[in-house]
Amino acid sequence: MTRSVVVTGVGLVTPLGQSAGEILDRIAAGNTAASKIPYDAGALLCPYYAPVSRFDPDAFFPENKTLRLMNRDAQMAVVAAHIAMEDAGVRADHTYPSEQIALYGSTGVSNMAVEEMSRIIEYAAADDGSLDLRRFGQIALKRVRPVMSFRILANMPICFVSIFENIRGQNAVYTPWEGQGAQAIASGIRAIQRGDVPCALVGSCDVKTRELSLVNLQQLGVFSSWEHHGRGCIPAEGAGFLVLEDQQKAAERGKRAYARIADYAIRSTESSGDLKSTLTSVMLSLQRTSYGAVIAGGDGDAAIDGSERQAFEQAGVNAVEFLRPKSHVGNLFAAAAPVQVALAAELVSHRNAGRPVLANCFGFGTEQASFLLETPCRGES
Amino acid sequence: MPRRVVITGLGVVSPVGSSVEAFWDSLILGKSGIGPITLFDAGGFPIRIAGEVKDLALESVAEAFPEAAACRDRKVFFALAAASQALCDAKLSDDDLGRALLHVGVGLEAFCLDDLTPYADCPDLGSAIVNSVAEGQTGRPLQTPLDVTCRILGDRYGFLGGRYTNCSACAAGTQVIGEAWQMLREGLAEFALAGATDSMLNPLGLGGFSLLRVLSDENDTPQRACRPFDASRKGTVLSEGAAFVTLETLDHALMRRAKVYAELVGYGSSLDAYRVSDPDNTGQGAVQSMSKALAAAGLGADQIDCVNAHGTGTVKNDVVETAAIKEALGPRAYDIPVHAVKSMTGHMVAASGAAEAVAAALTIHKSMVPPTINIDKPDEQCDLDYVADGARSFSGDTVLSNSFGFGGQNATLIFRRYG
Repeated sequence: MTRSVVVTGVGLVTPLGQSAGEILDRIAAGNTAASKIPYDAGALLCPYYAPVSRFDPDAFFPENKTLRLMNRDAQMAVVAAHIAMEDAGVRADHTYPSEQIALYGSTGVSNMAVEEMSRIIEYAAADDGSLDLRRFGQIALKRVRPVMSFRILANMPICFVSIFENIRGQNAVYTPWEGQGAQAIASGIRAIQRGDVPCALVGSCDVKTRELSLVNLQQLGVFSSWEHHGRGCIPAEGAGFLVLEDQQKAAERGKRAYARIADYAIRSTESSGDLKSTLTSVMLSLQRTSYGAVIAGGDGDAAIDGSERQAFEQAGVNAVEFLRPKSHVGNLFAAAAPVQVALAAELVSHRNAGRPVLANCFGFGTEQASFLLETPCRGES
Repeated sequence: MPRRVVITGLGVVSPVGSSVEAFWDSLILGKSGIGPITLFDAGGFPIRIAGEVKDLALESVAEAFPEAAACRDRKVFFALAAASQALCDAKLSDDDLGRALLHVGVGLEAFCLDDLTPYADCPDLGSAIVNSVAEGQTGRPLQTPLDVTCRILGDRYGFLGGRYTNCSACAAGTQVIGEAWQMLREGLAEFALAGATDSMLNPLGLGGFSLLRVLSDENDTPQRACRPFDASRKGTVLSEGAAFVTLETLDHALMRRAKVYAELVGYGSSLDAYRVSDPDNTGQGAVQSMSKALAAAGLGADQIDCVNAHGTGTVKNDVVETAAIKEALGPRAYDIPVHAVKSMTGHMVAASGAAEAVAAALTIHKSMVPPTINIDKPDEQCDLDYVADGARSFSGDTVLSNSFGFGGQNATLIFRRYG
């Protein structure tokens, strides 16, 4: 018999707020975090982005020099992870032994900030603008900070989380889309269900508001919906982490859980495959069609949103309320899945009269996932 | 009751050979794959040696996988070649693959600097790059997403049971095999293809590693440059390649009478939570990783017969790993061979754990232990049997394989003789 898994901590850094309650309030008020890209980016098909304003990691980790080694992705990750751990009241080597806390995360492509890239290419360019490898090796490398590698390796944000939270348990880091964020959550769930660990910190970070990220997304066709339909996804930045616990262990320490993760499903789709069928299959495999609320995956991309709408019909999904957080928060890509699940957990816990909530993690990439969250059984956690 | 999982197919592309046979023959003969960098002009770099893949015709791979035509990244083609070898070796049907898992470990996807240097003099660099690149002036993607290998392999072979792209640095190759093992064991699938690929042999990759001061700068003696456990070691040598294995539940393998190289019986992972730049000097993360793998395998330390070490040749790793092996295995550590494949292949970064898993499975299958080359005088703190005198026969049943990643991620696999 597998163990029951509950969400006991939530930590979010998003353009629309730093708590699930705040984000839901602002969604209800019709707020959006999107703003016009403030520099000349006329060639981009998407004119908007959703940055996190007033993000101050020093407020969470005063005088911590390690923050200087980190890129913005990692700084957001350590802050969100810390909020989640505090929210859950879990401290490594106090609540649980540090090696008994698993850490599963996902990250986006770790793009450099243009300012950092400029330091390299300034000294690597020949007079005619071509790459001069001799100059790069002899001059540019000496002017690059050795911490560059810490900023661009894709696993680093999760490693920094382990260092900041002293987590030493089993782990993996996935990349680069929302589906991989869902896989990180699923890996944490399975680790607890198997009895490997009583607790897992799961989550993701991504920064898709930088110049190089925006270019990358456009080259990958992510903004094509803007060209054809005049609307599309709005790239955002942020991080989301969840503390998952064995329901019995959480109950033993008197911790009230947000929600129980009753089920989840992840399916692969071929790149040119029928997305609607995959999404339908994902939702049908949860063997439930009636929900208090659905956190839809939809983010403005016409094709993905259309497939999800059709999948809702085919799967016979009905709900009191359908929310589309990404149209307010922006698309956090790799970091979107924990935000979707966090909002579902908040709804189950505080706003939904105990009815089950479906959180869809649908979008770009080949992996599509749904999570079913319910109120923990009475008398437990 | 967890299911038993066996290895039924192998594939490898490496600096010492781009077939399983060539790879193994080189390891047993103690041949180094390290040489001067030829992929680009490294003359201005402090490090000018690496382990390059020499005997793989990338054009042939590109012809076989036209869907990869837009890729500029060598590691994509390495992966396609190695994965194809493993699937061919396993002789699976399309029906097997449709429900199968795909786990791919990858390294960093760096920008090609020559795409960006034309904008070096632009006062507003960000806008210049955004507008010119977004308008398609470069004509090629600045970056290939890290899941491209997984997507191409998944689409080509019809993997729909779950596609995982793992970026756990040097631990990725071991983690993907361990995670696939875990999922097969749980009954989530009957079959998985798992492996990893990497090439950081580009200006930004080599430059980034150079800055970390973990690479040997013995440019004049490339084949001697990687000396794990030797007292005079000066660092590791960057290399490239890919390796994949097919994993099956034992029942599935028996049903189709598949060739079995070895059984995978244990997997463990841990985090140092120490520093991003250095391994924990106490080696506790490595000890945890090995201990968890032993526990998962249901084996005692005295039942481990060989260790395929992470063995990078960096000053810190080899001492810490030796101490960790001794703590995890106790007195048994002194009685068994501990060898380092990287002494010959160099450090294939994300792919290294997968290549070493192939070596571990072959150690059992071929009953031979590859040597650690270039040990003239072991470090005083490295006092185990590192197989410094050449390959030797192996009559044991189990091999433990370690990978310790940059950033503090550790992973361990344990293979056992089947039958």
